[in-house]
Amino acid sequence: MEIRPIFSALLRNSAGAILVSLQIAITLAIVVNAVFLVKQRVDKVSRPTGLDENNMFSLRVTGFGKDFKFHTMVRDDMAMLRRIPGVVAATPSPQVPLSGSGSSTVYFTEPNEKGKKEPVAYYEVDEQGVAALGTQLASGQPFAAEDIEYREKESQAVPKSGKTIISKAMAEKLFPGENALGKTIYDNQSQPLTITGVIEHIQGSWVDWNKLDHVMLQPMVTPGPSTLYIIRTAPGELDRVMSDVEVALKKAYQNRVVGKLHKVADLKRRSYSSDSMIVVILGVVTALVVTFSALGIFGLATFNVNTRIRQIGTRRAVGARKLDIVRYFLVENWLVTSAGVALGCILALVGGYVLSKQYGLERLDLYYLVSGVAGLWVVGQLAAWQPSRRAAKVSPAMATRNV
Amino acid sequence: MFGYYLRLALASFRRNPGLTALMVMAIALGIAVCLITLTGYRAAAKNPIPHKNDVLFSPAIDSWDPNNPYDKDKPWRQPDLLTYRDAQALVASDIPDRKVIMYKVADVISREDGSMEPETIIVRATSHDFFAMFETPFQYGGGWDQKADQGPEPVIVLSKSMNEKAFKGANSVGKTVRWHDREFRVIGVLADWQPAPKFFDVSNGAFEDPEDAYIPFAFGRQFEMGAAGNTNCWKTESIDSFERFTQSECIWIEAWVELLSAGKVAAYREFLDNYVTAQKKLGRFPRPLNNALYNVDGWLEFNNVVGDDRKAMVVLAFAFLAVCLINTVGLLLAKFLNAAPVAGVRRALGASRRDIFWQHLVEAGVVSLAGGIAGALLGLVGLWALRAWYGRVIEEFGRVLPFEAGSLVLAICISLVAGLLAGMYPAWRIGRAAPATYLKAQ
Amino acid sequence: MLEMKDVSKVFRTDLIETHALRNFSLQVKAGEFLAVTGPSGSGKTTFLNIAGLLEPYDTGTYHLDGVDVTRLSDDARSRLRNEKIGFIFQSFNLMPDLNIYDNVDVPLRYRRMKSAERHQRITNALEIVGLAARMKHYPAQLSGGQQQRVAIARAIAGDPKLVLADEPTGNLDSLMARQVMDLLERINEMGTTIIMVTHDPELARRAHRNVQVVDGQISDFKPYEPDAGVSASTARLHAVGSSAAEA
Repeated sequence: MEIRPIFSALLRNSAGAILVSLQIAITLAIVVNAVFLVKQRVDKVSRPTGLDENNMFSLRVTGFGKDFKFHTMVRDDMAMLRRIPGVVAATPSPQVPLSGSGSSTVYFTEPNEKGKKEPVAYYEVDEQGVAALGTQLASGQPFAAEDIEYREKESQAVPKSGKTIISKAMAEKLFPGENALGKTIYDNQSQPLTITGVIEHIQGSWVDWNKLDHVMLQPMVTPGPSTLYIIRTAPGELDRVMSDVEVALKKAYQNRVVGKLHKVADLKRRSYSSDSMIVVILGVVTALVVTFSALGIFGLATFNVNTRIRQIGTRRAVGARKLDIVRYFLVENWLVTSAGVALGCILALVGGYVLSKQYGLERLDLYYLVSGVAGLWVVGQLAAWQPSRRAAKVSPAMATRNV
Repeated sequence: MFGYYLRLALASFRRNPGLTALMVMAIALGIAVCLITLTGYRAAAKNPIPHKNDVLFSPAIDSWDPNNPYDKDKPWRQPDLLTYRDAQALVASDIPDRKVIMYKVADVISREDGSMEPETIIVRATSHDFFAMFETPFQYGGGWDQKADQGPEPVIVLSKSMNEKAFKGANSVGKTVRWHDREFRVIGVLADWQPAPKFFDVSNGAFEDPEDAYIPFAFGRQFEMGAAGNTNCWKTESIDSFERFTQSECIWIEAWVELLSAGKVAAYREFLDNYVTAQKKLGRFPRPLNNALYNVDGWLEFNNVVGDDRKAMVVLAFAFLAVCLINTVGLLLAKFLNAAPVAGVRRALGASRRDIFWQHLVEAGVVSLAGGIAGALLGLVGLWALRAWYGRVIEEFGRVLPFEAGSLVLAICISLVAGLLAGMYPAWRIGRAAPATYLKAQ
Repeated sequence: MLEMKDVSKVFRTDLIETHALRNFSLQVKAGEFLAVTGPSGSGKTTFLNIAGLLEPYDTGTYHLDGVDVTRLSDDARSRLRNEKIGFIFQSFNLMPDLNIYDNVDVPLRYRRMKSAERHQRITNALEIVGLAARMKHYPAQLSGGQQQRVAIARAIAGDPKLVLADEPTGNLDSLMARQVMDLLERINEMGTTIIMVTHDPELARRAHRNVQVVDGQISDFKPYEPDAGVSASTARLHAVGSSAAEA
């Protein structure tokens, strides 16, 4: 099968072919970059949290009025909550992981801000903190009830018990290759904390932070008048427990405000909302753009067949087999697709570069480009299949007919 | 003749409903996607107070860590908040025509008579110029004056929604509410005010709801309340009291100034430089001198309110539109070329080149106009769907959608122009040849 | 009416030159019914195209109704075609998208005529060809003969001075062909000049005058003389086919 005559025939009537090639080129550029972006976001959103977020909810309580006994309220509430059927664990905490709100600081392996240092998000929790978050300890123990400090006034001191639980990711950064359990770390005022537990995996508050898995638990209940409660339920009981808890808390105390209850899964979804929206939009655009290209190829092939009925008939009349006709159109279509793909590769790479440079996105992985090229080639041949088959059915008698 | 061309176009569409639908849908989808991303972009890029863009300024000074820039990826960035003592100093200058110092605090509000359910609200502790500077609309009453700031007098301005909850929307001026265990007298109620983006407090969320109430700034200190917004500290300091906190290098306060003449702007810039230089002599501001005075546009850009995601999406959307338009151009080209013999007959019957050209252009124009309108409608549906789905979780979508008329008009114009351009080439090609060319295929 | 002097037309493609017309000269008086015959490839279609201002020519002069068309702009030529010439094609060339009424309407539209006048002319033309009752039908619903009659109506709706017919009966059976020829004769009797290209000597006979085109040139001016055997049947054809009956 000679490519050259097909190619020069194409050149002579090239407007339609140029348009389809152009369309394929831009499609490739879009698809490759879009799929790449989508994969990144999907990966980001699907990272395991280490929490039992589908069975957790949080709410804020705020005491008011003169001489409000904040810590008494917290202890009473915790005792009551833990008695409610369906509640697995409950803890107070100033913030909730995955919510976008939190506090962070830096810890060092040596005093006087020396040694290795790592930033970390920290949460002050009581003895049920680890359980309420639904995390697994890789080593060590959760806090005991007597470890918890109920701090009356704001200060920069570390928890009185001197204990802390940190995430494995942070431990490995601070003590690579070693067992962090039992080691001491220091804050920026050289106050020491001993690591009494290492959490296998846990995420902190800010999903866009590159140290999302650096988390520290401190055995402390902060001074009032406000705190969050994080409550974990048995599987399947979340909705029922939420309404039970709300009723119980509102009844239990005067002089305090019970805020809105939020499912931690919802907080997580909210943190990732712009990511998931991008995935949706890009996904839709990609699907559409591929469909259009397929339709464009199909349309061009059909058009070419329709305008060349007599020519096809003549070819058949002089001895071409059906297969030769099919091959002719498939080759012609392949030329158009390949021209588009070639241009598209350049556009895709340029686009990827621009997106990464201008908007700080990651550099395009060539794997996506290769897959995109292969995919479009396949789509192109599939789209041209039916018109080519139809061309093969043209009767040789068409050579003489006056259409 | 235009009416005649219109009839011919419609007859042609009726004969090829599938092809016509395809062309219109292609354009519609491209326009719809562009519209959605453009709206998202413009919602975030909007300057909510454009007429004051060049008189409102946010001073930014670099009081940060000598060993680490505030933003690792953009080391030239100053921090986006001020320390308490720096903010106080910056608004102490009498160069600005107006100035404001402020931050967010949170506590419980209630009414003495128990007529409302107590709830935790966010309050902005601010100075009296806030209302005039940012042109907040009042439903009842007004703000407070300098004397009230100095007191501080326990006065409070409520937002419209807060007033609905506390007083059922009635004129509550003169009534009192209880906040942080103190009685505050209502002196004003705001009308609907939801500047988007919330340019004066981008640091704490550019699309957050506005605060529920406003009180004089000095109460923050009096009640020793930390910020209900961002607080960042870089220095190792012993902070064991609120007083020490206000003297620390932690940044948690916002300040804005209003400078009504270029001379004042220059003077204030000089003031900033002098202040920082003087502080350096006291051992503060270890980083190199890096002061800036951002107007509203500059502040929004400095804080990247639009966000890289949105910009990238707009680029992709226009690439998609290009594909859609090329698709339609191709289809139009094929259709017109296919109908060339008919055009040849018309030429034989006396149509001039221009007649043929305009006839085809009208057909292309109708397709693209239909596509543009369909795209606008589709875009509306898409935005509504996104809002319904995500509105609960993305604040700005609930607020700024639907639609800017500008984007809508732009969309339809783009599709019309594109369609006309698309139709021009084939229309011109048909008209160009001698009539006999297309008749020869007999 | 029509005067061509030494008209030549050459088709050039890369290496080949085809002389379609060579020093072609012809005069046609107003009111004539002329048949142009000749073997295929002789140039008669080219002559018709040039006569109808559908194609430009290379050398020579062409006067149509006293107007020298050599230097006319495309717009002027279109207007001339529109007002002075009517076309009838071998394959009818009706617009499938439009109904009969709208088909006849087409040339009138390009004359920017008011709708009342257009309506008058269309109904008149359709009456003449006997298809007024089928105004709202589409070409696909008509037979070949009827379609050609519609094409004739279209050609005469604008009252052209000259009608050019290219093998008008080529795609029709003998009955329909007869009807079409009758119509043409009637139109000619009403004063319109008709130039008809045909390869059928029978049809050529019905015209006033014949010219033969061979190798791009006029060959001779002899009217066609049939031999005895054929003339009888031709005479019978004439007698039977003079009424414009519905097919």
